Amino acid sequence: MKKGKTVIAAAVATLLASSALYAAANTDVAAPKAGQGCISLKTVAETEQEVVNEKGERVKRLAPAAKVVPGSEVVWTVTASNVCAAPAGNVFIDNPVPEHMSYVSNSAMGPGAEIAFSLDGRRFAAPEQLRVRDADGTERAARADEYTHIRWSFRNAIAPGQMALARFRATLK
Amino acid sequence: MLNPLPSRPALTRTLLASLALAAFPHTAQALGVAAGTAIENTAQVSYTIGTTPVTTPSNTVSVTVAEVLDVVVTLQSATTSVSPGATNQALVYRLTNTGNSSEAFLLTLNSVIGGDEFDPTPATPSIYFDTDGSGTLTPADTPYVAGSNDPLLVQDTFVTLLVINDIPTGLVNGARGFSQLTAQARTGTGAPGTVFAGQGASGTDAVVGTTGADGDATGQYVVADVQLAAVKTATILDPFGGARPVPGARIRYQIVVTPSGTGTATAAGFRDPIPVNTTFVPGSLQLNAVTLTDSSADADAGGYVTTPVPAVQVVLGNLTQASGPQTVVFDVTIN
Repeated sequence: MKKGKTVIAAAVATLLASSALYAAANTDVAAPKAGQGCISLKTVAETEQEVVNEKGERVKRLAPAAKVVPGSEVVWTVTASNVCAAPAGNVFIDNPVPEHMSYVSNSAMGPGAEIAFSLDGRRFAAPEQLRVRDADGTERAARADEYTHIRWSFRNAIAPGQMALARFRATLK
Repeated sequence: MLNPLPSRPALTRTLLASLALAAFPHTAQALGVAAGTAIENTAQVSYTIGTTPVTTPSNTVSVTVAEVLDVVVTLQSATTSVSPGATNQALVYRLTNTGNSSEAFLLTLNSVIGGDEFDPTPATPSIYFDTDGSGTLTPADTPYVAGSNDPLLVQDTFVTLLVINDIPTGLVNGARGFSQLTAQARTGTGAPGTVFAGQGASGTDAVVGTTGADGDATGQYVVADVQLAAVKTATILDPFGGARPVPGARIRYQIVVTPSGTGTATAAGFRDPIPVNTTFVPGSLQLNAVTLTDSSADADAGGYVTTPVPAVQVVLGNLTQASGPQTVVFDVTIN
């Protein structure tokens, strides 16, 4: 249990210059209600913005997505929190690449998760196993911008009170 | 083939400038998602509690695409040859909205630009919409009035504009005058990334794109107050008294150069390569029915040269309309 928390904290620190900002963006995770699921799933959209910190250095921080224009990169973060008393097993998170957006190659991450992609939302596989056939009949490896869905499969159960994180970047067409 | 000699700098320069400008491509770009579009995302989680499978969606996040302000102005017309004192001389421009939303553009004209030899005088009015698409100023074209009929363009569309200048008098041949059309997004301009909060489509922010939300292009007039027209004809005399182009047949070429206009073509010259598979007939070169010697180094106006390619060349001198047609004749034989 403690180990899981450490892994997530480390990942957040790696990705973000300010983990405090990240926490602030996710304080509104819905409280559980009887009869609803044991995992509360929360999605946020953020963009990387360059700011000057207290030391006068230019650093990149994630801030709630605003002023998204064609060519902008949006960081989508999904957090799955176990709000029950029992562990949740066989956890996987599915996220379609939003309409009008292209997945950014190698941007998907998730501590403790196997990540697979799909070109149709049904069959998921590792990038090197995704092939497409062009109009002229030749087969080639699928490009990242052709992925339509992403799936994070978590190797370990999520214990009560713990959470898992899935994140990817996509560019607005 | 009528080629100017190097001693005709003004007209040569005109020709080269025309070619250079005609080669500029149109630079409209493919565009992105329209401003105001909602980008939505909902994730889903599946898991088991004990042996019970559960699937739950996340909240739906919606991000609204902001407006990008971008514009490109391109010159559509080649360098325009004009005479001193000419009025209502048109340059053609294209204004393209390369942003991602509808936007109105303010147009301004500047004909006082450095690097040229004269300043064209903007007519009143000086900017027209090419309403009838003719590429020239016609009564059907609508004058532009700033703030009144600023062109409102949907993303990835363009409008053709005519810039109208008068040409001052007293200009020398070859003098150039520049005229620049600028378009600026009405929402605002500035360094790329500048934000106009809440001023974009559907209440989104408007963001200045890579063009700075303004664009300009500069057109060019060149004074060419005399024109030289050349007409070349060929007559064949075969060895048998007929007119068939057989080996041994003799071809007589006649070139008539006719000056027109008000000015003077200084040191006009004429060069014509001998066609391949033919041979110049020595002593056959004439200017205005007077035979010229084959030497190009002597005092008369012309001669036959062998480098870089076999050719005849004749110096016609300073020509005006009063000089009348100049007739050059020479013969070749078919090898």
